[in-house]
Amino acid sequence: MSILTRDRNETSNDKPGYPVRTVAPLVDVFENAEEVLVVADVPGVGVDGVDVRVENGTLTLQAKHPSRQEQSGPALAREYDEVDRARSFRIPDGIDTGRISAEARNGTVLVRLPKVAAVKPRKIDVRAS
Amino acid sequence: MTTAWRDLSDALRTFDFINRHAEFVFDDWPGLALERWPRLRSAARAAWPAVNVFETKEAFVYKAEVPGLAEGDVGVHVEDDALLLRGERKSDVPEGYTVHLRERGPIAFARKFPLPGRVDAEGVSASLKDGVLTVTLPKAKDALPRQIAVKAG
Repeated sequence: MSILTRDRNETSNDKPGYPVRTVAPLVDVFENAEEVLVVADVPGVGVDGVDVRVENGTLTLQAKHPSRQEQSGPALAREYDEVDRARSFRIPDGIDTGRISAEARNGTVLVRLPKVAAVKPRKIDVRAS
Repeated sequence: MTTAWRDLSDALRTFDFINRHAEFVFDDWPGLALERWPRLRSAARAAWPAVNVFETKEAFVYKAEVPGLAEGDVGVHVEDDALLLRGERKSDVPEGYTVHLRERGPIAFARKFPLPGRVDAEGVSASLKDGVLTVTLPKAKDALPRQIAVKAG
């Protein structure tokens, strides 16, 4: 549960010397007639580091930041920490959980949650009798 | 029809916000109004992008977190002993979608960093990977440490 209580990078800045390893990513959530679309910022994390899980009606995004050992020189300035990110959402009714898909692109993750056919608006043709 | 969308961590995040906000109540008002409030409201926008700077033997390395940016969205310039990052993250609501939650808005940015030492402007390189911009500025040749051989006289 603790991963869900962390809020962005500033939390770690509030307590110097007490690094927070996992923070909640910033997200957008959009919806249209076909799907719910979740977009999360996970800078530094590629497709290999992203984990999207659907469990007990909950969608969990996790992004593991690759460790950056090659940066051997001292930091002259540090405005951000290279952290893991995680956030969970309750999946609303009417989502076809079997068809949820995810895509990593330029340090963001897009998760598409398609609606089940019955929830989509449908136009009924009216015939003359 | 709009689906009920719930962020599980919302209540906890709100509590966190109140918690941090409460600390500032005891600050003087001008400080609260001018400095604290914008930082709280949008930490991401206060200084975007966030940048880490490293020094290696041969170069200064600037890393910036720019999630959502593609090549062409960011310009890197070196002028007058300063590094200039300028660009725009377009983040429009996709056509025909309604908004449930909007935390990553569009951002136009320009940041200027005075360089910590002399660099070889011709040799500067920049790359963009997984939303992280890395700018490598090689140190000027005559600024590199040099070993002087001591000869027996």
